[in-house]
Amino acid sequence: MSLPRSTTDVLVVGGGPAGLAAAAQAAAAGLMVTLVDERVTLGGQIYKRVGPGFAVEDPRAIGRDYAAGNHLIAAVDSPRIDVRLRTTALAIEGMTVILCADESHTVAVEAERIVLAPGAYDRPVAFPGWTLPGVLTAGGAQTLVKTQGVLPGERIVFAGSGPVALAFPAQLHHLGAGVVTVCEAGPPPGPSDVAAMLRAAAGNLSLLRDAIGYRAELLRARIPLRYGRIVVAAEGDGRIEAVVHAAVDREWRVIPGSEERVACDALCLGYGFLPSVELPRLAGCALDEDEDLGGAVVRLDEWMRTTVPNIHAAGDGTGVEGSLVAIDEGRLAALGVAMDLGALTREAAEERARPLRRRLRQRSAFRSALRRMHRVGPGIYELSTPDTMICRCEELTRARIDPAIAASTDPGVVKGLTRAGMGLCQGRNCERTIAALIARRHGLELASLPPTNPRLPARPVSLGAIADQEIEDHGFFTAAAEPRD
Amino acid sequence: MASSPLPPNPAIDMPTGHPDSSHVAPTAPAWLALTETSAALPTDTDVLVIGGGLIGCALTYYLARAGVEVTLLERGELNRAASGTNAGSFHLQIAIHQLTGLEVDSLADRLLTEIRLYVEGARLWEELETELQGSLEMHTTGGLMVAETDAELALLHAKQRIEADAGLETHVLEGAELRSFAPFLADDLKGATYCPAEGHANPLLAAPLYALRASQAGAAIRTNAAVHSIDIGTQGGFTVHTARGRVRAARIVNAAGGWTNEVAAMIGQHHPVRRDGLHVNVTEPRERLLTPLVQHIGRRLTLKQASNNTFIIGGGWPSRAHGADGGYRTVWESTAGNVGVAVRVVPALADVRLLRTWSGALAFTDDLEPLVGASRRVPGYFTCMATTGFTLGPLMARMLAETLAHPAARSPLPDHFAPDRTASAAPAHP
Ligand SMILES: Cc1cc2nc3c(=O)[nH]c(=O)nc-3n(C[C@H](O)[C@H](O)[C@H](O)COP(=O)(O)OP(=O)(O)OC[C@H]3O[C@@H](n4cnc5c(N)ncnc54)[C@H](O)[C@@H]3O)c2cc1C
Ligand SMILES: Cc1cc2nc3c(=O)[nH]c(=O)nc-3n(C[C@H](O)[C@H](O)[C@H](O)COP(=O)(O)OP(=O)(O)OC[C@H]3O[C@@H](n4cnc5c(N)ncnc54)[C@H](O)[C@@H]3O)c2cc1C
Repeated sequence: MSLPRSTTDVLVVGGGPAGLAAAAQAAAAGLMVTLVDERVTLGGQIYKRVGPGFAVEDPRAIGRDYAAGNHLIAAVDSPRIDVRLRTTALAIEGMTVILCADESHTVAVEAERIVLAPGAYDRPVAFPGWTLPGVLTAGGAQTLVKTQGVLPGERIVFAGSGPVALAFPAQLHHLGAGVVTVCEAGPPPGPSDVAAMLRAAAGNLSLLRDAIGYRAELLRARIPLRYGRIVVAAEGDGRIEAVVHAAVDREWRVIPGSEERVACDALCLGYGFLPSVELPRLAGCALDEDEDLGGAVVRLDEWMRTTVPNIHAAGDGTGVEGSLVAIDEGRLAALGVAMDLGALTREAAEERARPLRRRLRQRSAFRSALRRMHRVGPGIYELSTPDTMICRCEELTRARIDPAIAASTDPGVVKGLTRAGMGLCQGRNCERTIAALIARRHGLELASLPPTNPRLPARPVSLGAIADQEIEDHGFFTAAAEPRD
Repeated sequence: MASSPLPPNPAIDMPTGHPDSSHVAPTAPAWLALTETSAALPTDTDVLVIGGGLIGCALTYYLARAGVEVTLLERGELNRAASGTNAGSFHLQIAIHQLTGLEVDSLADRLLTEIRLYVEGARLWEELETELQGSLEMHTTGGLMVAETDAELALLHAKQRIEADAGLETHVLEGAELRSFAPFLADDLKGATYCPAEGHANPLLAAPLYALRASQAGAAIRTNAAVHSIDIGTQGGFTVHTARGRVRAARIVNAAGGWTNEVAAMIGQHHPVRRDGLHVNVTEPRERLLTPLVQHIGRRLTLKQASNNTFIIGGGWPSRAHGADGGYRTVWESTAGNVGVAVRVVPALADVRLLRTWSGALAFTDDLEPLVGASRRVPGYFTCMATTGFTLGPLMARMLAETLAHPAARSPLPDHFAPDRTASAAPAHP
């Protein structure tokens, strides 16, 4: 290969909380680190930098994240860390990662160890009207607010589940946006949930305090928080004008007759996140299934090692558990790397890992306590009608995909028959919905369906940026070049 | 033919409203109605076809239509291997691999025969939508094969003469004529041949439609029925053991494509066939830039803008074997190298984004001739396999079906296609 090459001890992909923490920890152990992120700034999903002309000072809202983010970002300002922004990992082959820099050219980095921390993206939910302008994901809305200082609307409906369903509307309200209704798909906390949360409170008091604060903010603002309700349709002529929400059972399946309509000019959806597993899959890492952590999650050992030797992973990209877990996982991955490379003794690594592991256990206990309320119900994938767009990129409605789903239990076959998932987003927005429809139609477990093949590049990239004239052309069918007699 | 007038340029005659430029996915094909593939296996059959790719499905159709009792067994789903993952192009022009390092003239005889075969294959395709009563999304777009150097240009001229003799219309275009005919090509290319008969069809449609029509004509088609072993009967005939039970067959056809030798090994045979992973790139859709297929006489490139306006770029770059059984992973070197040739030939591609790469298992013979016909060593055993199998597969299947349906008649298949011809090309290389 004729690519410019460099080497490093540790290559960290992703400059969010997990990647930042991993890079800083590895450098602290004396290792040389290359940290890449495709974005223009560090910080990842949660510590996105605020754009010019828009500042939040309140520690209760986005400002506190901002401060925490600054802290993590400052820690990677080190001579041992080569930070490369606007640099996208396209492919992993062995311990070589192909990177596209500035959207203009490619380079290869060969690393002793790789830490994958690519984060997660919003769980897409297909229901009638979900493609109308004015319907946004929480992540999309957050990007809008944080990087451009733009509020998504004046009469916002928020629908989702989990801590984000409290935090985000409260933050939006705090910023001056009008939030008209919040729908949480899960049930209200009952006495047993409160008891469970209190039992798991150790180490999680700040999370509890946050939740209570956000709840109080919604109450003060008289924003109705409707438990056990899901958005079943967005309506409007060319742009959202109203949403219909309805009561759901424990499986998040709609209870007929419970629909209500509310006028609005924006709908923010926060039904959790799906890990970006493109890179782990390209690397060949084994995955497991856990819907509550986002579906496909990376299988890891106690040092965040994947099943592929010398490749570690951390953060939301391995299973979605929030920024605090991402940070601790990033550190733990770096400690494992440092230990494996001999930069730390086993004892030193264990000692540093102990408090991280304790916190991770506490978080995991807290998550279990919340599980009854926030587990993702299969009904989330069953809101589409025949006219609902399932694959936006290829413009395929449910009616176009259904015959293929009836014909096969293999998501790869359905993809081949319909082209669903072959467009710009490469299935990020429809693959799971379709898999869930297949599972339901054939009475299978979602987890039992075979995954489609991982294919490079991990992100779309211009042909000009990767075209390589120097690669030797060995010729097709070289054996046939010999003369016959 | 060399002197015949150049046909109109399809790139100019194809307005944006042409169906070929609309960005729509195929509607649910009628053959999804083929549901009896999970029924029990028959206990006895005259001909048993192993492999449900394009060739196996086509063969089953031609046999059923001729009234032969036939069963097709596919180990997975139909059309999931090479036939469902290929680029869907009709390659008719002589490609570089048939000329490398050789005097074209010394090969003229062999090439003549071969081109005639391709011309006949193309004719079969032209009538196929009528024959099978369904859309295959056939588009005869014409095809260019470009030359970058003077030596390559000389090759184009030599090849054009042979093609003319064989009845394949091609034109050598140079200079201003080439630039006005194909303005999307890099303007320092030395020349190109243009073959109006080349084009493409949708590989997702052809094999399944053959299968549906075969089934309607009485064939038994069974999926998830991998053939595990084959006993040769002492009185002739075979007992075939599968994942779903046993079938007795008077005759068997090995149509397992890239797995031809795995099946052959079940009866102690080995053919001069190898399997390799083939790399393909696909881009985002863009406004229509080009209509004809574009190939390179000296470097590995096939390129076209598909019906949905994406660019499909291939040409024989390898992918890496993954796992034991014919899975392949695409590799960076092939991606960058293949794209490198594409951007060299069509510079406007530089700002189009690559979305995905994929690869399929391609079977090819050491001498690149089809492997079709009766085995001399094992009576009742036949093979049906071709390298440029999308273009040529249906024709090979039809010819073999004729042989099987009329065993007494003289076979239309040339001797040098025979499965146990001695391999004359270089030994398999790693
Ligand atoms: C609306 C919203 C509200 C949230 N609220 C909270 C909250 O209140 N509390 C909380 O704890 N968490 C919250 N989160 C979740 C939090 O943002 C994540 O848990 C956290 O950011 C995960 O960190 P990470 O490092 O794993 O991933 P990310 O922060 O997503 O970082 C991943 C980085 O990797 C980069 N990347 C990905 N792929 C590539 C590639 N191929 N090449 C190069 N770079 C790549 C991305 O550009 C990104 O910068 C919220 C998230 C959202 C969207
Ligand atoms: C990426 C790629 C691009 C290509 N591009 C072109 C092109 O543009 N133009 C062109 O003309 N050709 C092209 N080809 C070649 C063409 O696709 C093949 O030659 C053709 O599809 C071969 O068809 P087949 O039916 O022999 O093989 P296949 O389609 O591979 O079918 C063989 C079948 O046998 C089955 N099988 C194997 N073992 C068993 C068993 N033990 N029991 C039961 N079933 C079994 C397999 O599962 C498979 O379904 C391309 C090939 C590839 C891979």
